[in-house]
Amino acid sequence: MFDRRLVTHFDWWFAGMILGMACLGILTIYSANALAVSAFRRTLYLRQLTWVGIGVVAMVAACLVSYRTLARIAYVIFGLSLVLLVLVLLIGKAGLGAHRWIRIGGLAFQPSEFAKLGLVLFLARYFDDHRERLHEPRTMLVPAAFTALCMLLVLKQPDLGTALLLLFIALSIMLMLGLHWRYLVPFAVGGAAIAPLLWMVLKDYQRRRILVFLNPNLDPLGAGYHIAQSKIAVGSGGAFGKGWLAASQSQLNFLPLNHTDFIFAVLAEQWGFLGCLVVLLAYFYLISKGFRIARDCTDLFAALLSAGVSVMLVIQVLTNTAMVLGMMPVVGIPLPLLSYGGSSLLITMLGLGLLLNIHMRRFMY
Amino acid sequence: MEPLFRPPAQAITPRIQAAVLCIGVGFLILLFRLWYLQILDGDRYFALSTNNRLRVRPVEAPRGFILDRNGEILVENRPTFDLYTTPEDVTDPKEVAGILAEILGASPGEVEARFQEGHDRPYQPLLLRKDLDERMMVAVERRLDLPGVSLHVRPVHAYPSGGAAANLLGYVSEVNQTQLAREEYQDFLPGENIGQAGVERRFDAFIRGIDGGEQVEVDARGRALRLVSRIDPRSGSNVYLTIDKRIQDAAEAAFAGKKGTVVAMNPTTGEILAMVSRPSYDPNLFAQRLSGEEWQRIATDPSHPLANRAFQAQYPPGSIFKLMVAIAGLESGALTPETKFYDPGYFYLGSARLDDWKKGGHGWLDLRGAIVNSCNVYFYQAGLKVGIEDIVKTAREFGLGEPPGLGDEAKGNLPDPQPRKRGQPGWSAGNTVVASIGQGLVVTSPMQLLAMVSAIASGGTIYRPWVVKKITSLSGEILDEYEPEPMRHVPVKPETLAFIRQAMLGVVNEGTGTRAKVPGIPIGGKTGTAQLVRKGEGKGQADLKDHWWFVSFAPVDSPQIAVVVLVENGGFGGQVAAPVAKAVYEAAFGARQPFPRPGTRTAEANEPDIED
Repeated sequence: MFDRRLVTHFDWWFAGMILGMACLGILTIYSANALAVSAFRRTLYLRQLTWVGIGVVAMVAACLVSYRTLARIAYVIFGLSLVLLVLVLLIGKAGLGAHRWIRIGGLAFQPSEFAKLGLVLFLARYFDDHRERLHEPRTMLVPAAFTALCMLLVLKQPDLGTALLLLFIALSIMLMLGLHWRYLVPFAVGGAAIAPLLWMVLKDYQRRRILVFLNPNLDPLGAGYHIAQSKIAVGSGGAFGKGWLAASQSQLNFLPLNHTDFIFAVLAEQWGFLGCLVVLLAYFYLISKGFRIARDCTDLFAALLSAGVSVMLVIQVLTNTAMVLGMMPVVGIPLPLLSYGGSSLLITMLGLGLLLNIHMRRFMY
Repeated sequence: MEPLFRPPAQAITPRIQAAVLCIGVGFLILLFRLWYLQILDGDRYFALSTNNRLRVRPVEAPRGFILDRNGEILVENRPTFDLYTTPEDVTDPKEVAGILAEILGASPGEVEARFQEGHDRPYQPLLLRKDLDERMMVAVERRLDLPGVSLHVRPVHAYPSGGAAANLLGYVSEVNQTQLAREEYQDFLPGENIGQAGVERRFDAFIRGIDGGEQVEVDARGRALRLVSRIDPRSGSNVYLTIDKRIQDAAEAAFAGKKGTVVAMNPTTGEILAMVSRPSYDPNLFAQRLSGEEWQRIATDPSHPLANRAFQAQYPPGSIFKLMVAIAGLESGALTPETKFYDPGYFYLGSARLDDWKKGGHGWLDLRGAIVNSCNVYFYQAGLKVGIEDIVKTAREFGLGEPPGLGDEAKGNLPDPQPRKRGQPGWSAGNTVVASIGQGLVVTSPMQLLAMVSAIASGGTIYRPWVVKKITSLSGEILDEYEPEPMRHVPVKPETLAFIRQAMLGVVNEGTGTRAKVPGIPIGGKTGTAQLVRKGEGKGQADLKDHWWFVSFAPVDSPQIAVVVLVENGGFGGQVAAPVAKAVYEAAFGARQPFPRPGTRTAEANEPDIED
């Protein structure tokens, strides 16, 4: 029994926008590496193309099953992503000194990406189950504990950026749910108390990144160098950019990580202010649409899920671009849909697929 | 008290509106920032991007040391000076090329051609010559005022004992074009150095360290005006091998002038104590930029100096394989220690006559006597009695025909006896006879035979051979430590192995291996000859002489070290290979320092007390 309204309620604009952004990502990755010395680098865009294909399938799959079914297996999915996080610490492949990848066949993926969506699903389901007991403080214990566990596992990799992202996602969902502002005060106080402790746990490169942000002249070759070169790349784009494949700054290896975390700089150099404006507007459209879907939900699980996915997206977009523009420390957060990286792309497309799913079934429940 | 939560139904809508508002403000801030960077400051940044006055120069990290098990240095660093040019800064290429060519002893055209290569990577210094010698250094230092010419100091790995253990240690050279096309090397730039073989390659990630960099502000001629900042490179980790330098040196010395391999291993742990492979190469040569010819000469040398003969080459095991026949027979009951055969000096299989190596034969022999004297005629008959299936089964249990576990290995071959089929020559009794003395289809690597003899010595457990004991940071903190790893247990009765060990003791005390004898140390061994099929055809005789084996272990009652020696085209068996093993045992047991060191598995009480 297929409901025809599912088709009429499918948001083609929204889906088209996602696909368009993913394609823009491929073009940018292609140009960022077109002059690379490594032949492997020059073919990265083909890999990203493969991942976009996988992402589209995942998005369609995420639309097909009702989100109600998803709610039923939310805990299982979360459990699975925890297992993957443990696994990556045991058998993970090291990249830049961190254990972040698990390799299956020819594809490497990052369990920390899956953990983002897993955590959102878990929290949405948990709060939906305990909606009558939200006023009891001990209801908060379980989500707080599991969020902390996720964060610890990710910190161990070590991946500070993603760990903080998980914290913000969890806090935002609680706020969305109606957590009183004043209960955030303990968090703030606790945070200030833990900060020195955290400082000791941080790896050298993480400390350097924070210090460099506070004083960019401290270390112009490490993270400070990233920021300086990134600003030159962005600024030199001017109003209309240098054009595709004509961006010397980001192509000539002055800018490291140009196809992953700093892809926005490549984009800004090539398409200038105008291009950035269009891209940012596209992101704003996707994100605000996500929040509108959350607002229109009659079902708490769906509302929290769509709000969670939107929060996940918006934090990544804002922190990544702010970092590229030299307004934030360099943290390893990719730009959703645009950055090179299969796991991030797949999870983003899955998440957006869930938004489509909730949107097209809004009349059913 | 105020409730923790407002009811979700009331809370969600206003909070989402607030969130979207905040996000909108966030995006606006980003746009303002973009406006500031791209519109207001765009021209300045554009200028910066077209003429990058700030140059970054990577500073290569010193590679970690490679040390032996006692901390003796096997590989260290020495400073070298490399000559670089930044083509964009060269004002008069013709003149500069002329001057440099004279200093380097190259043609001006060659140097000028190098200037042209830098076009796709502007403002990056290009390497002109690695590792200048003293004469060039003096000449270059006088001309450092030339625009676009600079000298960089760089630490490179130095191998104080030249070709010693070279195939095990490996060498360091520039990443090559084939490697650059692969995923593992995507972060490498042309000209970067990387461990290319042996330990240098396998543990490159630990040894290489983290490169630093210098950010330099340059003037219009590209000369460094001022060092803006510098990140010091972080030196690589130190790698401690299981190798014992004393034993290694002794083995190298004893093997001087020979072709082949010597490997010593602790049979109760699998630790490799020494590994010699000859001919080899001098890893120091690779620190310079090898010319294409020099590389071709090494890579295509018919004696394969780049191959590690210890485990990458394979040979017929010859008489060593008789041990497998004996063990297979004892296990199946086809042979007992009392089984006797008569050796008149020849053996007729049908009408084919096979001679024993000793004219006139050995007469009546029991199993021990046959092993001690390595009697072919005895084992022709024993092999037929035991049957090829059981022999091959036992050999497989001892790990022959399978890679021994070091990586990149030869896996050897064991025959697969198929019954004779119509129209096809199947397995025949003749094949069995030939296989019984380790010829024909039986092929093994020296490492496999070492594992085999270790299993006999240790009571049946075969450990994975390993060469890296631990990895430490510069400050001595242990980053990684490796342990013995039992790979398989050979299901053979202890009495069988005990009998074989005693027979092998006889080989050294009174048989074919007496040249290995060290007074006071009971050594068990077995000699072997790998006959080459083409022998006697009369062409290129020097290359077609037999290979000679000697496998052994000591002390027989509590083995601590097992040794395999293979001498290619060696001349006379026990006479050539056994003395090399003897030198290894003298180094291992004769030194002041007791061996193995405290903490390993063997009880020290068992150690022979020998001084020489």
